[in-house]
Amino acid sequence: MVIKILRSFAARVLDDDSTKKPHSQIEFLRDFLSKHKYIYTQDFEENLVVLKRKHLVDSFLVTNLDGSIVVSSEGNGHTEGIMGTAMLSYIKSELPDSESVLIKRNDSWFMLFPLEKKVFIVKAGSELSNIELRALSFELNSLLQTNKQTLEKKRVSQTA
Amino acid sequence: MARVIAIASGKGGTGKTTVTANLGIALARLGKKVLLIDADVAMANLSLILGMQSSPITLHDVLLGEAQVHDAVYDGPEGVKFIPSGLSLDNYKRVDSERLLGIVSQLNEQYDYILLDVAAGIEKNVLSALSASQETVLVTMPTSPAIADALKTKIVAQRLGSKVIGVVINFVMNENGEITKNDISSMLELPVYGSVPYDPEVRKSFMQEKVSPVIVRKPDCPASVELTKVASRLSGIKVGDSPSSSKKGFLAKLFSIFRKK
Repeated sequence: MVIKILRSFAARVLDDDSTKKPHSQIEFLRDFLSKHKYIYTQDFEENLVVLKRKHLVDSFLVTNLDGSIVVSSEGNGHTEGIMGTAMLSYIKSELPDSESVLIKRNDSWFMLFPLEKKVFIVKAGSELSNIELRALSFELNSLLQTNKQTLEKKRVSQTA
Repeated sequence: MARVIAIASGKGGTGKTTVTANLGIALARLGKKVLLIDADVAMANLSLILGMQSSPITLHDVLLGEAQVHDAVYDGPEGVKFIPSGLSLDNYKRVDSERLLGIVSQLNEQYDYILLDVAAGIEKNVLSALSASQETVLVTMPTSPAIADALKTKIVAQRLGSKVIGVVINFVMNENGEITKNDISSMLELPVYGSVPYDPEVRKSFMQEKVSPVIVRKPDCPASVELTKVASRLSGIKVGDSPSSSKKGFLAKLFSIFRKK
């Protein structure tokens, strides 16, 4: 008991603290976060690249319900667009309350998510959960709306 | 409309559940209507910390579609409302945590704050809770493994559209090797809402015949005081301005009588 009290007293008085701040780990973690900064710019094309990095996907494609392309992160994808919308339309006709469709093809996953009369087709190395797919679709939809408004403003100012 | 805030950390054992319970009570003391939801559907223990283990209808039942959400809301300490998660492992496997977003939106109008106690890790039920929230507060310890997990949680929360607004540092012992408040703030690029000291009273609160959160059992202990400050910073209400602080003690009442005369 006496030894315990003396030890505790000595630890306090002599500041017997053998721990040291792990500076190298702090730097490592700072560096880690800096690689995950996703800052959007005024450039729509650049924002698509940011979005791909942020959501860890290989590519995405947005189509209208007839399969025509609204936007593509790779600048192409007509075949995927038509196939994806046709497939979603078929599945929706068989299972009307289905929310998303996930397809494993070769080493990639293709994920289809309908939102506001558009189909979001995402390709990634691993499957996204429905929550992640929805988050990506909502964010992409929001970017599309912002871009549409920007283009509209430009058009109005040019005509004026 | 309620502020829906996820209390998350990534790493287990950082004290998320303790912070959620005590923060909820501190916010209620500031005059806010508070609902706590145990969103840790696999390892639920918020009910144990609140001392309310007997709940016939739980979040599991609501997520399974077998009960209405209002039937799973219970009265907690000091006016806080509370939705517990069940302890059943069978139900945990069956529940669809994605329904949490719909549940939260049903309750949105009735509260000022809805705090979601999120599980550790970044599994599906964590993603569900983060995506059901508008804001996220991270709870970490002043050590690099805990901060690394908090960083990952921050990135995931942002990906899901939840705004990460601040961090609470828990178990602070002021040892030389601890990562300082300023370092944590700059590493996470977030304001620090509070540095809750390691306080044996928190642990002792679980070791009572009737368990109650430390802020109820020992409101003046260092951890309780700091958690009250966290609530104050989160709500933007100064502790002295709160309705509960207007309740005067015996001596204050006595002095005020003499002052009037």
